[in-house]
Amino acid sequence: MRDSDVLENNPQISRSALEAMHGQVFGWALSRSDFEQVVAEDLVQQAYMELLTGKARFDGRSSLKTFVFSVVQNLSRNRYRRLAARMRLLDRAAPEPGSEVAQPVEPGEHHELWQAVQSLPTRQRDIVELVFCREMTIEEASSVMGVTTGTGRAHYDRAKKALKSRLAYDQDR
Amino acid sequence: MTKTDKQLQAALQQGHSEAEAGRVPAFDSVWAGAEARIGQRRRRIRAVGGLAAAALIAVVVIGQLRPVEPDWQFIDPNEIAGSTSWTAPSDVLLPTHRFDIYRDIPVLIESTETDGGTLL
Repeated sequence: MRDSDVLENNPQISRSALEAMHGQVFGWALSRSDFEQVVAEDLVQQAYMELLTGKARFDGRSSLKTFVFSVVQNLSRNRYRRLAARMRLLDRAAPEPGSEVAQPVEPGEHHELWQAVQSLPTRQRDIVELVFCREMTIEEASSVMGVTTGTGRAHYDRAKKALKSRLAYDQDR
Repeated sequence: MTKTDKQLQAALQQGHSEAEAGRVPAFDSVWAGAEARIGQRRRRIRAVGGLAAAALIAVVVIGQLRPVEPDWQFIDPNEIAGSTSWTAPSDVLLPTHRFDIYRDIPVLIESTETDGGTLL
């Protein structure tokens, strides 16, 4: 770690370490934002701001990857809470029956497994993504999701069972 | 990790890499964006702080320029009413209570002569 590389307000984080995991972090932000690139970019920018200003301070208690993923997860949650509150206000102000919000197109939608994963409950989908795609342990994934390891393990087992049965059902047809 | 798990993992990784392909912006541009937003936020905070300081100074200056009103002293009416009557503490030494000392008009200045009974 070069001295100039270290973040001023977060001495345990280096810019190069963040750069090395940027693809993974952005992928996580994409899945947090229904694959809307603009929203994902905004989330990652906000996460980097939190790290640059030291508002989110890394103390080395977990891996840097787990920490940065947690920051993105928290920002995404806050964002959706705000959005949900605005939507409720809008619904109250002008209820239009039958109006539907345009859903973003998800790449790889044709893929059976992808569809199976997308149909999982949110927490099961998150833990499957973190463990299988972001190469985290169940403990790290649970930490990112803000649940206990036991709960994380339960979500993981249920997700795997659901995926296997879904795929087996698809193959049988 | 079982064989099925590995197959799941491989399939999921492929699915995600397809979904993310070409959508990850360069680190430098995202980083630069974050730094720019921090700069904007700081400028906004400075502007708000400056406005607040200016408002505070204006309030202080206006307060200084305003004519000072006299410091009113209020008199307790009960106190005034009480001051109209007075009982001499020396009454107790008099032969009778409220004994009138001045039964006659005293001669204030002995050398003064009366002119037709009028005190000059």
